[in-house]
Amino acid sequence: METALMIKKARQGDREILVQLIMKQKEDYYKLAYVYMKNPDDAMDALEEMIVIVYDNIHRLRKEEAFYSWSKTILVNCCKKMLRKKKKLVSMEGVREQVDTSPFAHKEAQIVLEQYLSHLNPKQKEAIILRYYLDLDYQGIADILKIPVGTVKSRISIGLRNLKKSMGGAQFE
Amino acid sequence: MNNIEEILGQKKNEIEQIPVPDEMEVRLRSALEKRGTNPRIRQANWKVKVAVLCILALVIGWQADTLAYYGKKLLGYDSIMNGTLQELNESGKGQSINKTYTYKDGTILTLDGIMLDDNQLLAYYTIKNSHGKLDFDKISLAPVMKGIVKEYMMNSSQGIINEKETEVKYIASFDSPYFFEKHLQLVCSLGKNGADETRSISFKLDRNQAMGHTLKQKLHKSAQIDETEIYFDTIMATPTTTIIKGTLQSPLELARDQILDKRFRPNELTVELIANGKKLDWQGAGLSTNVDGMTFEQRFDALPSNLNDLKLNLVSFSSEHDVHQVFALAKGDMKQSNQIKGQQIDFKKLYTSEGNTYLTISSEESVILTKVYLIIDGEKVSLEETIQNEYDKQPDGTIIHTRTLRFTGTGQEYQLDIRRMSYSKTYNKIIDIPIK
Repeated sequence: METALMIKKARQGDREILVQLIMKQKEDYYKLAYVYMKNPDDAMDALEEMIVIVYDNIHRLRKEEAFYSWSKTILVNCCKKMLRKKKKLVSMEGVREQVDTSPFAHKEAQIVLEQYLSHLNPKQKEAIILRYYLDLDYQGIADILKIPVGTVKSRISIGLRNLKKSMGGAQFE
Repeated sequence: MNNIEEILGQKKNEIEQIPVPDEMEVRLRSALEKRGTNPRIRQANWKVKVAVLCILALVIGWQADTLAYYGKKLLGYDSIMNGTLQELNESGKGQSINKTYTYKDGTILTLDGIMLDDNQLLAYYTIKNSHGKLDFDKISLAPVMKGIVKEYMMNSSQGIINEKETEVKYIASFDSPYFFEKHLQLVCSLGKNGADETRSISFKLDRNQAMGHTLKQKLHKSAQIDETEIYFDTIMATPTTTIIKGTLQSPLELARDQILDKRFRPNELTVELIANGKKLDWQGAGLSTNVDGMTFEQRFDALPSNLNDLKLNLVSFSSEHDVHQVFALAKGDMKQSNQIKGQQIDFKKLYTSEGNTYLTISSEESVILTKVYLIIDGEKVSLEETIQNEYDKQPDGTIIHTRTLRFTGTGQEYQLDIRRMSYSKTYNKIIDIPIK
């Protein structure tokens, strides 16, 4: 079924179609939740919370073509809300629990980088993670975070500059 | 700048490889089902309502079996349950299974029930012989819990045999299975001399009866010890047990010490967990060294429900150190006192007899020379044995261990080459844990 038609049906309250709509971009949704929550358990909880909110509010969605960015914004907000509850920092530590075949020294570099990332301004860090870890473009990030594209660009470039400064430059120049 | 972007890019590759769990679709659907119909969308006509009622009736019908078992407690396990598990069992926690498999020789394996929380999966099972006494040589003491992606090895197990020796009841602890595991199999083999009969009992995990956790937080606490700084990273308390995890050395520190030949190998870390001023029962510990560094785990009993104060006590740490020191020795009685790695070791007497050389030394009880050679006229000789062990308690409570080391061969010039030694140091450092 065509996406536009599916969104129409979902707006009329078809739960199964809504699930299928999300599953069409399951990779994007799951990974977006994962970079915030850092583990599969919490990522899945955030996704569950998101689909319920989307279902409750889909009749308010004016522009049907905005479904994906709108629902992803909801997902990000769910993640942030859960993180606030857990008082967890949005650090990327969890990812290194994956099996890592990269050489020893390289693994260290990543861990060090993550430590510096966690000291960055949270908004700059968020933009950098979405840009580099999820490979989203500026417009995509702007849509999800509901901020102008210019702001996304400046957060990323200032964030990278700060990151470079705080890491002393020498080792990572 | 390029290098930072490169590292960020590598992270992206890692994230790209993270698989989307198969259960995502089911979880999303059931989240919506739990939510019920959106009240703002009033579309459901009477047909839908009837359908919903029918489905509900079906669902309740299927659940009836489970409901009947719910709240039933496991019998006969009291003497191997600790107080915490007994309480949980009394209040009907856990999932009843009651599935049986009979082996060819008539031995019956019954999985009575399980308890699941975020720290562990406990399996309560019975092995019974209907014809007479059990042959314990045939019973495998290490069952395996098999899931979709991996086999969960048993961490610990306790059993009790009845008076007639016809039946044994076990409680075995496994790592908590991954969140997506739904069906598990308890695999148990019976037999000896390679003629094993391996059978399994499969069951469905009921996550609704899992007990989750009562406290889960990051600790961010550390304590300095001679060798390193100990980091206490996390605490995870569940209704059955409490696990504290931490780090002794990061991969970088480990690599550095390896290069500098200053490595230490941990023997034992003794930690107490004190809740509301009372020490919790210690249940076990683990230490491991791998590419993630040197990490540890300490297991204690469950936390009390009215928790208002939580403390850790770092009691002592024992480890083995590289020493690489050579000491010249004189024959006969000597009073040579040495400070090695801050530990006093006295050389007392060196004598020869029947082609052997004997060296008497004394030190505090925990000090052990783990790799030591005697150099006789320039030739390195390995330690044969340690004899004549004597322990003297000093007025201050320390215990001095005096023993004699025997080496094969005699000569004119003697040196003691200590390569490695281990010792324990008492710290008794109290660390407060704020409860969030």
